[in-house]
Amino acid sequence: MQRCGPTRRSSDGLFRVKRVPLAAVLAAFFIFLALAVSIRQAVLLLVGVGMGMALAGARFGFTTGWRQLIEQKDPQGVAGQVLLLALASMAALPLLGVFPELHAALGPPSVSLLVGAFVFGLTMQIADGCGSGTLYKAGLGVPLNMGILPLFALGSFLGSVHLDGWLALGQIEPVGLAGVFGTAGALALTLVLLACTLLVVRAWVGPGRQWIERRWIWGAVVLAGLATLNLLLAGQPWGVVYGFGLWAAKASVGLGLFDPAANAFWGQEGNAQRITQTVLMDVTSITNIGILGGALWIAARSGDTRATPLDREQWVVGLVAGFLLGYSSRLAFGCNIGAMLSGISTGSLHGWLWVPLAFAGSMVGVRVRRHYRY
Amino acid sequence: MASSSKRMWQVVFWLGLLSFLVWDWTASPPVDLRQEPPLIAAGSGQVITGGHCSMAK
Repeated sequence: MQRCGPTRRSSDGLFRVKRVPLAAVLAAFFIFLALAVSIRQAVLLLVGVGMGMALAGARFGFTTGWRQLIEQKDPQGVAGQVLLLALASMAALPLLGVFPELHAALGPPSVSLLVGAFVFGLTMQIADGCGSGTLYKAGLGVPLNMGILPLFALGSFLGSVHLDGWLALGQIEPVGLAGVFGTAGALALTLVLLACTLLVVRAWVGPGRQWIERRWIWGAVVLAGLATLNLLLAGQPWGVVYGFGLWAAKASVGLGLFDPAANAFWGQEGNAQRITQTVLMDVTSITNIGILGGALWIAARSGDTRATPLDREQWVVGLVAGFLLGYSSRLAFGCNIGAMLSGISTGSLHGWLWVPLAFAGSMVGVRVRRHYRY
Repeated sequence: MASSSKRMWQVVFWLGLLSFLVWDWTASPPVDLRQEPPLIAAGSGQVITGGHCSMAK
């Protein structure tokens, strides 16, 4: 058994998909979506493919960036993420102010959010991937992440099933910074808070550090552009977790194991309707599929993979962490994408609450990871 | 893990995903193309109601 990460080139027996047939498959899927579902979903597939290519090509790992900051005092990954957040905010907040059709990623500040973000941050270090990280690493062919993906989906589904109970522990209404301070005020506050984040990081890492690498810069620029495109086309910010939960919900209903009408979350009109429709009509599902395809394209191009043996205990711990990752992502109202990137860039207070809790969880998670010798 | 085992993992993963999507498509009601959402939500004047992970309901 092995642990793999997309960091070194290797030719040790990858599932080598040729790029031309893969491009033909993606093109055929695009045409199918355009003819049988909608032009919008077809274009969103391409947006997702671009996201997957950027995530895998730039190795834009949220989890790794945080771990390198904690363990090695290397600020490059976090600096890249702050750049991404700043660019995405500068695009999203003005657009939300201009177009009333667009939605911000507003999650409720709640006990559920605090618990969920901490557990998510902890388990993402063990599973070596957040929501987007699990997707693109699965697309690259990393065995642990491929094994985690269905468990992530199951956890995300069960988290949404139990969400009502978690919210009963305490919540307030979602807070949008644009609603409180106006668009310009919200953007200014967001950029100031991001600058403060860099100052805290500077205080932690000390002087004489390299702050950013080229791949983090182009990754941040491309991902910010694609996240903005997602917002303009879909009317909502980029998300990952909802799609996973929907897949497991559909499978559970199909197997006769779950009655959505009896559940507070899935019984809601919009969610109940999406369960009855094909997942190809769902925005997050289609970008998730695109991310997998985009990462597979990168794997086909470069053969990026690294293999380190994983023992049975590491596999079990990793898979359990993957399940908890999915469960906690629903309690936290998103992962690094839905809560952190989309929440912060669209002015949601819940994004700013999510980050410190998830980072605190990651500080524990890197120790757990070390304990199990990952 | 031998390379053949890795290959098997990937084949199982992609076949599993493909099987799910095929089952989902065949088990779901046909898409009503007359209700197609606008290509670009911004400026369309239509209320967009997609699922998102930040949603509590």
